[in-house]
Amino acid sequence: MKIRKMAWRNLWRRKRRTYITAFSIGFGVLLSVTFTGVADYGYTKMINTSAVMGLGHVTIEPRGYNDTPSLDKRLSKSDRIRERLMQMPGVEDALIRIMGQVMIASANKSIGGAFMGIDPAMETGEGNLFIRSIVEGQLFSGPDAGGVVVGTGVAKKLNLGIGKKLVYTTADVNGEIVSEIARVTGIFKTGVSEVDGAMILLPIDRLRAVLSYEPEDATLISIVIKDQRRALKIRDMINSSMGNPSWEVLIWKETQSELASIITLDKAGNRIIQVLIGLLIAAGILNTLLMSVMERTREFGVMMAVGMSPLTLFRLVIMESIWFAILGLLLGVIITIPWYAFMYYHGIDFSGMIGSDYSASGVIIDPLMKIRLFRESAAWILTALFTLTILSGLYPAWRAGRVPPVESLKEL
Amino acid sequence: MQDHVIVRLEEASKYYQQGTMEVRAVDGLSFEIHKGDFAVLCGPSGSGKTTVLNLIGGLDAPTGGKVFLEGQDISLLSRSRISIIRRDRIGFVFQAYNLIPVMTAYENAEFVLTLQGVAESECRERVMEILKEVGLEGLENRRPDEMSGGQQQRVAIARAIVTRPAIVLADEPTANVDSATADSLLALMERLNHESGITFLFSTHDQRVMDRAHRIIRLHDGKMETDEVRN
Repeated sequence: MKIRKMAWRNLWRRKRRTYITAFSIGFGVLLSVTFTGVADYGYTKMINTSAVMGLGHVTIEPRGYNDTPSLDKRLSKSDRIRERLMQMPGVEDALIRIMGQVMIASANKSIGGAFMGIDPAMETGEGNLFIRSIVEGQLFSGPDAGGVVVGTGVAKKLNLGIGKKLVYTTADVNGEIVSEIARVTGIFKTGVSEVDGAMILLPIDRLRAVLSYEPEDATLISIVIKDQRRALKIRDMINSSMGNPSWEVLIWKETQSELASIITLDKAGNRIIQVLIGLLIAAGILNTLLMSVMERTREFGVMMAVGMSPLTLFRLVIMESIWFAILGLLLGVIITIPWYAFMYYHGIDFSGMIGSDYSASGVIIDPLMKIRLFRESAAWILTALFTLTILSGLYPAWRAGRVPPVESLKEL
Repeated sequence: MQDHVIVRLEEASKYYQQGTMEVRAVDGLSFEIHKGDFAVLCGPSGSGKTTVLNLIGGLDAPTGGKVFLEGQDISLLSRSRISIIRRDRIGFVFQAYNLIPVMTAYENAEFVLTLQGVAESECRERVMEILKEVGLEGLENRRPDEMSGGQQQRVAIARAIVTRPAIVLADEPTANVDSATADSLLALMERLNHESGITFLFSTHDQRVMDRAHRIIRLHDGKMETDEVRN
């Protein structure tokens, strides 16, 4: 009889124990998929949301702009750069923008804020959260049209409404203070109070004129990609195909280091929880296999007496742990599929607990907890649990091969 | 004749430490077992019968002296080498059958052949032949818990002889079966000894085994008391 067949039958000597152990592995799959899937979904959502708030997944900007942003640092011929970017595989959109600090004033009050100059012909709600979040009025009609879109917080602080005028003041390319009047065409509400209370959208060509920029000048090009995990690859691709010493290509981790830190910290916490889950599962498997080995000491003695080598005995117990792993993972997949489907399509809504405008580092956190497990995460979970189960079998397997047959045969 | 010696013990000893006391389970024992022997080790409990079988089977190492199997001093061999010798040259029959419970009669008998790496078709041929020889034809697919004690011991005998070993070491093989079964098992082993020339060495208290033996080695306190050869 082949070792694997024998190991399989040995598994079923104590059915209840086998089921309990297999279910503990299966439950480990469920927990790992939940934790990893929530993280995969949540991080992607946060990164994507952050990307459509101005800087994209990948950003092309003048060298040094990220460290000390200033309106005198600018990209020229941005339209041509955009054209080339749009032909790159994996690039969903490339948006030319001018971003900077501004003083916004109404008839009787002024506040500090930030502006984003955009081309309405280029921008849609897909790649721009502010456009997607317009709750009143509309976006200005063209890049050189008059108009401004403000956040609800700005509108409230300055007592603005649709059709009302504001004055924005900033420094131009030469460092001169410049101002312009704009009429409010729309009001947006992202839910992030620090954004809604400071951000305004301006037509890019009009802004260029105010700032004394050349027609194709911009402070950055914000690149939105299909899969945020490919940001590094896209950056390398841009650098190798069209790199320019006057720019730098940065990924979201560099332009939004605070968000990257939050995600790194959260990932570390998640890993610790997963390791603890793994250790608990490993302890259960170790216990089961060790008990099963101890119960069969005499039988192992007989096997060795009739000629089974300690190494073959070791292989037998390892094979039993491999079967446990296969069985446990299969059960895990079976019990995880319905849960995954529910969490994938419906999720759990935590807005009742945390509200709908919860944010971290200026990025909205979706209160609807869903699961999206990346393929590599699924492979990692299955491989880790499989390896863990087999590692748990090492000590019992070693014990099995170490018992002297003459001592084992004395046991009853 | 030296060529026909399967087992030779030269001043073999096995001492155990029990608390502060030294127990001499086997004490300077010397004898030979020849090819085709149907020999018995007998003596009261604690006389060292099972220990001698364990020394010959390489399950235990002597404290002193030497144990030779087919001319090779097995006390000098590594654990893995001894397990190969046990697999290829020694058959074991235990008092409590000691079949592997998850295996059928066929699989139990086949077990050692599998360890030897014998091809499946040859395994099948040899196992079916042996099972027929020990009277278990038709019971191949039964598991140990579906067989009587006598049937289980027949499977154990089949497992012991299927590899055509140099010697079968049988430790109290009739102790757990009724007398009719014991007689039939002994008749079977006697026939295998006669017809196939398989060498048997028993350790037993059972008079029926002694009555059939060609040679009786009587032990007392680990030493040989008598060595009687019968015709």
